[in-house]
Amino acid sequence: MTGIAEKLASNQKQVAISEFFEKNKHFLGFDSLARSLITAVKEAVDNALDACEEARILPTIKVAIEKVDAKKDIIKLIVEDNGPGIPQKSIEKVFGQLLFGSRFHAIRQSRGQQGIGITGVVMYCQLTTGRTTHVRSKIASEPTAAVVDIGLDTRKNKATKSNQGREIWYNPDGSSKDHGTEVTAQMKAKYQKGRQSVWQYLRMTSIVNPHAEITFTDPDGEMHHWPRVTERLPTKVEAIKPHPHGIELGQLQRMASESTDSRMTVFLRMNFSGVSARASKELCVAAEIDEKTKPTKMNPDQIRALLESFQGERLINGKPVKLLNPPTNCLSPIEELLIKKGLSKTIDSRFIATLTRAPEVTQGNPYQVEVGLIFGGNMPADKPVEILRFANRVPLMYQQGGCLLTKAIESVDWRQYGLDQPGAKGVPKGPAAILVHLASTNVQFTSEAKEALADNGEVIEEARKAMLEMGRGLRKHLEKKKKMAKTKEKFELINDILPAIAKKSADILGKPVPDLAQSITKIMSAVISETETVWNKETKQTDVSITLFNYTTRVRAYTILATWPEKAGAAMVNNDTGGRKEATGVWAWKLDSLQPGEKTVLSYSLGGLEKGDWTETDIFFRGSQDVIGASKMDEKFLEEIRRQERALSEMNEPEQERDEPEAEEPIGEPSVAAPTGQTTLFGGEA
Amino acid sequence: MTRRHTPEETKEAMHVIVGEMYDRIVKGEPPTMTLPVRTKNNIGFDKKLGVYKYGKKQSIRDATSLGSAKQLLRALHVVEFIEEMLVAGKSSTLREMYYISEAWGLGKFGSQNESNNLAEDLEIVTKCLREDFKLRPEEDGARMIGNLTLRERNRRGEWMRINARDDVGDSGYGVPYNVESEKIELLEHDIDFIMAIETGGMFDRLIENGFDEEYRCGLLHLKGQPARSTRRIMKRMSEEWDLPVVVFLDGDPWSFRIFASIAYGAIKTAHISEYLATPTATYLGITADDIVAYDLPNDDLSKKDIEALKAELSDPRFADGWWQEQINMMLELGKKAEQQSLAKYGLDFVTETYLPEKLAELGLA
Repeated sequence: MTGIAEKLASNQKQVAISEFFEKNKHFLGFDSLARSLITAVKEAVDNALDACEEARILPTIKVAIEKVDAKKDIIKLIVEDNGPGIPQKSIEKVFGQLLFGSRFHAIRQSRGQQGIGITGVVMYCQLTTGRTTHVRSKIASEPTAAVVDIGLDTRKNKATKSNQGREIWYNPDGSSKDHGTEVTAQMKAKYQKGRQSVWQYLRMTSIVNPHAEITFTDPDGEMHHWPRVTERLPTKVEAIKPHPHGIELGQLQRMASESTDSRMTVFLRMNFSGVSARASKELCVAAEIDEKTKPTKMNPDQIRALLESFQGERLINGKPVKLLNPPTNCLSPIEELLIKKGLSKTIDSRFIATLTRAPEVTQGNPYQVEVGLIFGGNMPADKPVEILRFANRVPLMYQQGGCLLTKAIESVDWRQYGLDQPGAKGVPKGPAAILVHLASTNVQFTSEAKEALADNGEVIEEARKAMLEMGRGLRKHLEKKKKMAKTKEKFELINDILPAIAKKSADILGKPVPDLAQSITKIMSAVISETETVWNKETKQTDVSITLFNYTTRVRAYTILATWPEKAGAAMVNNDTGGRKEATGVWAWKLDSLQPGEKTVLSYSLGGLEKGDWTETDIFFRGSQDVIGASKMDEKFLEEIRRQERALSEMNEPEQERDEPEAEEPIGEPSVAAPTGQTTLFGGEA
Repeated sequence: MTRRHTPEETKEAMHVIVGEMYDRIVKGEPPTMTLPVRTKNNIGFDKKLGVYKYGKKQSIRDATSLGSAKQLLRALHVVEFIEEMLVAGKSSTLREMYYISEAWGLGKFGSQNESNNLAEDLEIVTKCLREDFKLRPEEDGARMIGNLTLRERNRRGEWMRINARDDVGDSGYGVPYNVESEKIELLEHDIDFIMAIETGGMFDRLIENGFDEEYRCGLLHLKGQPARSTRRIMKRMSEEWDLPVVVFLDGDPWSFRIFASIAYGAIKTAHISEYLATPTATYLGITADDIVAYDLPNDDLSKKDIEALKAELSDPRFADGWWQEQINMMLELGKKAEQQSLAKYGLDFVTETYLPEKLAELGLA
């Protein structure tokens, strides 16, 4: 007979784990019936996106929600992806073990987890409905799919398996599925509509994952479809070693204790980024540690001293030890053009500006801010703008007010950019949506709920700068619209009204219709440019033509400059009028003699783009007389482009140790396991 | 003096405008249309006519902006339309012309106001009347009551003799839009003066109290800012019968303007002031001093009222001392009063006390 004590103990443990879940459900994302459903969708979809990204597969994700028992709020959720699939033996680990998965072991930009990942969903289902979660998964190399029902043994913190088997996985059209995973879960939950809903979560996910195709069938059977708008997968991110500026004592202690390096300098150079050979020595000097010390032999005071020299609190020659910035190829921004596509497929508008700032570093962590602004269309003009917040491509849907990204938006005086903002405070009003994405290796949240980003002066300033630049874009667009309307009027005047006046007056008087050329020059008395940017269906190129009319009595000379999406990988073709590159994304033509009464056409095509990528070309001029329809070249604008060019090329330079050949000791493979960051059960990276 | 024009004369006058546009194009210039400036800054007193007329300031509407160019094109369409009507012997209302312009493509009117203004522009430049253009107003003529007799040609072309006291009901004689001699002849009267009244309520009060008979006058309801035909018939009665005209309005800045348009000529129609204005008309009340003297119930002047009064101070039509005094007094009081506020002292107060006292000042009672 099993001892009563044992039974009690196991009971107690079971109670403990479910109690833990109960107590912490607010930061696990299961604090309300509505949010639980969003969290479940989020975990499943994040997993699907991550798996596809890692396997370099363009994701196709289907989400369906059915009401099983409306009275008892029982809901069935089905999420299917076309990912690589999970080998049969790994299924229980993925779905049934807390903290499984590669993303905890490296420092790089990752979607991260809400609470405890998909296991939390399995646990929630079991706790609220007593039911297991059905998983079907197929990998390409096997002919059939593995099926299994996963439950959770809360005593052993381990998955339980039942009804395990294999089957042929048929698609709805009768073909058999090549690879993918499907999760079917039943839980107590509520389906809601609006700003905080599964629909909104998927819509936001689709905006920042333009490479994904997402279909959602809601409980009413209605299908929502967000198509794939690019075939380009997010750049594969490299894992990087931690940077001394971003490290905490506990982590340093663990790294030291797990190190097999024979001496400090090697330990520092091989396990941290940004530490040159010279810096590794200087750090030891500053920390008053002999560089030949074995890392495992450091005493707690020495570790603390090392941390202090990391953080610049211990000086050498009166200065903190100079460290290189960490590399930024560990970041995967969405990139301007793709944000634009993501936004424009989701929201109808007249104007979109997107901006990806160059990567920066805060406290040893590389980060990058991206913003998007979409204006006009059917959005309501009298309501606050919609704010779309993202951290590492994950939508943030709660706690908007307390989030750094919202604060950055609120710190801008939007009135000068054409949005309404009473008292220049708070979220602006107007027919617009503002997107902010923070990509970082270490996203700091205000709480474990991971819904709002914690304050950080540098990040907020970076986001604010991005917002200002985008705001200027909006203002320019609105000004341009006004100018274009004016130009259009002038053209209507000379092309339509004036000929009508000539004809009608001639008719009434019974005289011949007079020639208009002279009058037109007198009326316009200006150089006018007209720009067309159109998608050519046949050539799959974007055709741009810039026409300059000289409606003055003198010969005119100008340099005409046009923007083009060079950074997005476009190629300029059929540019018969030549010209030269002025700066990244700016092309220039020198026109020496525009004859009076004549027009000149500059035309070229842009290859390597898709429809809708490039719809508006900005035209600038250098010259004494104004060109209607173009703006005078702002040399500061060019300077800013060149500054960003420089910043980018510096950032991308590989970490080099030019000055000091180090010969003392051969350097082997890094001998410390990369820090896991797995210090708390549910906390993610500490 | 503005006079009527034959169809040929009208056509010729219009061709002068068209010719200006055409010739400019031939010369390689933007086409233009030259008009007098139609603001209070360009009206002056014409000593010979005794009314305010447009001065020498000209504005040139040229086709260098889309708006002006469209105006020129519209003017051409209107000229063409008028010529067609002259040939066909038809006429149309201004509103009908506005709708007809729907077919004019680029030359169509944006609003009825635009078409009305353009008709006035053409009158001004050609010195023709809109009657010459075969254009009729939409506006409502006035009502008249009193012992005066006229004859009007009805739709069948027959002359009808009408006495505005005996042959009409309580609403009085309705003044048609055309009050020229081919339509209306003034025959005889047995009254001492004509009183023009701003509001319908006061008009009816005087009729109910039998004021017209007791004080031997003709009553005319202006209906706010009076229509051209209302001003024209006042002018004719005053001239042809040699009768004094007194004007009884609310006591506010807008009433001052109504009076100015009756007595001195309206800014908008200053080109035909001598044809519409009655220089001998007198402002009876409500004056600014009446508000104080009769202790009338009143309202505070609104911001717009104050702006209007200030604008009137620099309006040449109000340049004389009495008007400057009245306007300044009203500004000081900060108050305005309605005609019907006299009812404070009972329904008969206006006919038994107020009007007799005011008329006595003028020697009319």
